[in-house]
Amino acid sequence: MNSHRSKFPKLALVLCLSAGISAGQTPKAAPITPMPPRHERPVSGPATPGRFRVAVAPGDGVTSERSIAVDRNANLKMCVVEGDLKINGWHRAEIRVFVKNGSRIGIRVLEKDPSSGMPVWILLSNAADEKPGKPPQSECLSGERIEIDVPITASISVAGRATETVIDSVKKVTVKNVEGNISLRNIPGGITALTYQGDVTVENSGGAISLESATGNIVGYDVRPGEIGDVLKVKTSSGAISLQKLEHRQIEANSITGSVLFNGTLLPGGLYTFKTSNGAVRLVIPADSACTFIASYGFGQFNSEIPLKYLTENDSSTGKSLTATIGSGDARVNITTTSGSIGIKKQ
Amino acid sequence: MSAECFDIGTIQAFLDGETAPELSASVTNHAAECVACALLIAEAEEQSSIVFSALDREFNTLVPTQRLWTRINDTIAVEKGSASWWQRFTGVFALQFSSPSFAAAAGIVMILGIFAVVTGIRDIRSRNTELASLWPTVNISHPQSVAAPSTVNESITTSDDIPNATHASVDKSNVAPEKLRKIVISTRLEEERSRPHFENAVAVDSRSIAPATEYLAGEESYVKTISELKQSVDGQKDRVLSPSSRVEYERSMAVVNDSITRMKDAVRTNPRNQSAKQVLYSAYQDKIDLLNSVVQREELIASLR
Repeated sequence: MNSHRSKFPKLALVLCLSAGISAGQTPKAAPITPMPPRHERPVSGPATPGRFRVAVAPGDGVTSERSIAVDRNANLKMCVVEGDLKINGWHRAEIRVFVKNGSRIGIRVLEKDPSSGMPVWILLSNAADEKPGKPPQSECLSGERIEIDVPITASISVAGRATETVIDSVKKVTVKNVEGNISLRNIPGGITALTYQGDVTVENSGGAISLESATGNIVGYDVRPGEIGDVLKVKTSSGAISLQKLEHRQIEANSITGSVLFNGTLLPGGLYTFKTSNGAVRLVIPADSACTFIASYGFGQFNSEIPLKYLTENDSSTGKSLTATIGSGDARVNITTTSGSIGIKKQ
Repeated sequence: MSAECFDIGTIQAFLDGETAPELSASVTNHAAECVACALLIAEAEEQSSIVFSALDREFNTLVPTQRLWTRINDTIAVEKGSASWWQRFTGVFALQFSSPSFAAAAGIVMILGIFAVVTGIRDIRSRNTELASLWPTVNISHPQSVAAPSTVNESITTSDDIPNATHASVDKSNVAPEKLRKIVISTRLEEERSRPHFENAVAVDSRSIAPATEYLAGEESYVKTISELKQSVDGQKDRVLSPSSRVEYERSMAVVNDSITRMKDAVRTNPRNQSAKQVLYSAYQDKIDLLNSVVQREELIASLR
């Protein structure tokens, strides 16, 4: 019995040691890999990329028209979800809005002129969200066709999702579209036009101008500065740029995969920059122009129909460049392309 | 001439005072009895004096030869093996104080080591910000103190094989005195050539610490911006872009990436090519604009909800 008692502590010690060893050798649980966060598609967002939910379901739209007397220099702000948008300037001090088969028209006066009491800042919106008890909808207008008449000296600010926008004869325009073409005419006070999918066309306009498209072409025709120093900026990723009959002395045109065409006069003292990664740069200018070309054309080519006076030329296989002049070389023309060609042609 | 005669390499080492004390004693005893060896030693001594006088300036530098280093290391190893830890500890200081040249050498090595560590830390800290401007001249502008002792030791070990091999291959019985003189001179010159030079060590070390990614001046900011934008865009583009826009986007991005790659190669080939740099920066800007367009598109969509 005593021998059993003396063995018991030893047995207990052995058991404890074996338990400790087995616990030490127990493999660690594999680290729990966190599940990647699920990406919740926003309810109010587009069901498919590039397709937007219409604020007013087909058949539910109404055709309506509203108008309001405003100051002649009024600023009109609006957003459009979907529809063809046409804005025209007229000589009345009044804004008229017509929506065909679309949302109800809401007109909010955000600011009035202190002296005349006339509205100077107006917001066009969807009137449906103004009614209590109804679920909130988009504040933006929508419809099959939206037509707006504004004073010819009014300024317009438009944001749109899928909108074909045509604006004619107003003082100043700012347009930003996710999708849709933009066409602007007779706008003397400056333009900012941006569409991420579509073309931009500007004609007979002036002022500081910025035209941008992600995937579309850009055309500028008969464009002039409003005041000294106004810049014309044109940029597209994969479209072509065509600029004709321009009077800006500072022009920046940039495309990545598209071509750049400039057909006009290089004015004395002007600063011109034309860039493209993969496309061609074509300058059609008078033979008696006075300009200096500073061209970097990587792996591309440089050709000129007009005789040039070459100041520097680097024709290495790892990046070509040159500096050359025509006449007195007043205007400065920077041309950059990686693998495209550069061509100078006579008008 | 007997079988106990020493070869010319051993005799040369004996004359240079680089043989072990036991070997020196045996050479001396043997030369006292062997006329041929005594004559050979005399000739070698005479030739050495000619060589030393010709290369006096080079040999007067205080750079110990490899055999001397080996002897020092062997002596230290033997003493370490037989001494207790306390004797080793005190022996280090005793050795330094007893041998001024060794103390000076050790001091120089320590200073160089500290300087190399400090420079290395500073270099790592400033690598991301300063290397862009240092890129074209990084091998030149590194301080000489970067030469770490380890690099020098490696060079010494490598260079040691050449003279030894030369000594071993020479047989005094088959060589005329004139030819022997040439061999001695060439051996000395090779030894001198293979002796570690700090300038070379610095160059090797500078190359070894050069970063894998080197930026041009201003390039890093482009790369950083693109990296940040890309992280944001990669999570959005599937949702924001329609299929046709996505195709155009990817096509444009491929063109820009190709431009960047090609112009990077061009700039690496010829870092002075300003034109290539300009096109490269333009391509970087295009990429930023392209990425930005996706972000801004998302913002516009969000503002219209």
